[in-house]
Amino acid sequence: MRNVILDNVRPFVNGKFEKPTKMCLVDGNWAGEAPEGTEVVDGRGAIALPALFGLGLDFKEPLRDDIYTFKDGVDAMRRGGFYGGLYESSANAIDDSLKLAAIQQISAKFGLSIAFLGAFSKNYQCKDLSEMVELAQGGVVGFGDGNQDCSRTRFLRLAMEYGSMTGKRFFFMPLDDSLRHHGLVHEGCYADTLGMKGIPRVAETVSAFRILEMARFLKVPVHFKQVSCGETLKLIETARAQGVDVTCDVDIYHLLIDDSCLLELNSNCNVPMPFRSAEDREALWKGLESGVVNAISMNHDPVLAQDKEVNFEDAVPGAVSLETALPAIWKPLSERLGAARAVELLSTAPAQLAGVAAAELASGKRAELVLLDPETPTEVASSMFAGQVCNSPLLGKQLPSSILGTYINSEWRGV
Amino acid sequence: MSALEIKHLFGLRGVSKNDIRLILDNAKQFREILERPVKKVPSLRGMTVVNLFFENSTRTRTSFELAEKRLSADTVNFTSSNSSVKKGETLVDTLRNIEAMKIDIVVVRHKGTGVPKFLADNSNAIIVNAGDGAHEHPTQALLDMLTIEEKLGTLEGKNVTIVGDIRHSRVARSNLWGMTTMGAHVTLCGPSTLVPRNTELMDKVTWESDVKKAVKDADAIIALRLQKERMDDALLPSMREYRNTFGITHELLECAKDKVLIMHPGPINRGVELDSEIADGEHSVILDQVTNGVAVRMAVLYLLAGGRANA
Repeated sequence: MRNVILDNVRPFVNGKFEKPTKMCLVDGNWAGEAPEGTEVVDGRGAIALPALFGLGLDFKEPLRDDIYTFKDGVDAMRRGGFYGGLYESSANAIDDSLKLAAIQQISAKFGLSIAFLGAFSKNYQCKDLSEMVELAQGGVVGFGDGNQDCSRTRFLRLAMEYGSMTGKRFFFMPLDDSLRHHGLVHEGCYADTLGMKGIPRVAETVSAFRILEMARFLKVPVHFKQVSCGETLKLIETARAQGVDVTCDVDIYHLLIDDSCLLELNSNCNVPMPFRSAEDREALWKGLESGVVNAISMNHDPVLAQDKEVNFEDAVPGAVSLETALPAIWKPLSERLGAARAVELLSTAPAQLAGVAAAELASGKRAELVLLDPETPTEVASSMFAGQVCNSPLLGKQLPSSILGTYINSEWRGV
Repeated sequence: MSALEIKHLFGLRGVSKNDIRLILDNAKQFREILERPVKKVPSLRGMTVVNLFFENSTRTRTSFELAEKRLSADTVNFTSSNSSVKKGETLVDTLRNIEAMKIDIVVVRHKGTGVPKFLADNSNAIIVNAGDGAHEHPTQALLDMLTIEEKLGTLEGKNVTIVGDIRHSRVARSNLWGMTTMGAHVTLCGPSTLVPRNTELMDKVTWESDVKKAVKDADAIIALRLQKERMDDALLPSMREYRNTFGITHELLECAKDKVLIMHPGPINRGVELDSEIADGEHSVILDQVTNGVAVRMAVLYLLAGGRANA
């Protein structure tokens, strides 16, 4: 539905909520009035937020379209209120301009604001450089090798040095593979109680320090994805104060879940960056408060049911998040940091990191929005998820808020 | 027959003192039966038990099988090397196929933590954990407890020291939960690369790095098997240094009580974690442990099956 009137909603404009009003959404814009006969939706006093921007989207297509497709991903974005995102696939390294053009062509069919990261090494192997100049000319907004650890430090140097010609930012998930050593979960009291191989915090800080030193040396901007502990945030803060251009995000689930979840042995809690301790979780929240953390990321990573319906350690890591992110995080986030900072972390800042225009709400302007009832809980059911997956750690749990509908790319979709 | 509170045996963490007491008391009765000329009872007649072993095992599988046969159950052995698992069948599919053959109890060993619980969540069978990763090996701990009670009368107030690779040991974990529940004081000792670093949830035990101090007041010492893979992984420099630092030797026993019990879950690396003269010596109760293993497993199967029958 291209046109809709949202009655009795409170739009978030210029950093604050307006009084309950009527929003006429016409042909993608917040218009003064709507054509006669336009459907009216009772907003029940819900808040209309600028649509969100998701960092860390992996829609699997084309190489693993048996798992998930762009169509599924876009469906998930519309359900969850995302107008755009930054795509980086573990299954598809975008390491040459032909692959980039192919995926851009698929993405373009859906009209959402999806930006792409190019790989800095061919097939994420950290052996041969990708054609970074051509990738940059083709439109990638930065470079990253998925969630791989580039353990060959000389190659890392050469990749960053060569890529510096493009002026693009390098994205890393800091996790030293050698220290990880087949670990799947945070090395803490729960892992030790369960006898599971743990990943120590130092696996993250060692990797982050190495990358920061390289960024300092080569004067290349870097971004850390899914920072999971306070120690890494301290390294980032120090490096930033010394002039290193470094940004970072934290994964949405790391703000909601800690390693005590391990006792449930829920394979949906098996994710690439492990859930760390309650103290780490609190440190991430403090990082959001202090501004060290730039954005909250989604890391939407679909996994088939048969790859999750196994014991924890044999499950394929990954979690989907787009459909449930906002109702899960809005209440705790806005209550602790205020609505303006919450919108910044979920929408404006991630878009800025991806070089995409923000989805701000203003009368008379283009509108991309999500209508949220902050006070009505939602129970997470498998039917909430797009495609054939439902690998969410929140499956079966109750979320504090619920989405009433989204207006993305000139289309209203009520829930 | 009193019923257990637990419906499956995943581990001993969280299992009540009453349940452990009930298992040990029943095991003592089965222990007596094992001394009779006819060692078989009809308790599980008509029931089918599948021994689902995804990891190699000789003594645990044999012990379970003997326990099942002595309870008159029908038994089926399933190992991953001769199954469809090799052909890529998932764990759930394997279980559902076996369950479709109308079985009652599954005894499972697997490299993954939590597999017994996972199977229980996905089937109607009674599940008994025969070892899951480095998590738990509850029947081993129960047989250790039975052996100590048999020799010392009670676990209450006794000092039990476990020496070796605690970090990777499911035996140590089950023992520390079970024995502390039963009132024993447990001391854990091993090289710093082989003990857990984060022990907040294991606060009822004492951690000691000096093996001489660890064994000084012990009523029983359990030596854990040292796996040779630990050397390949650079967790230890050599078997030799391990033996000289943490091995249970005659010299070390001079620091311990005169009547200390020496225990081992087997198989033993003689001359590494345990010297031969100690393994075969007057303090050793290792073969009693093996016999008690059958009795304990009989008790566990009998009580869990009885619980289901009474439900």
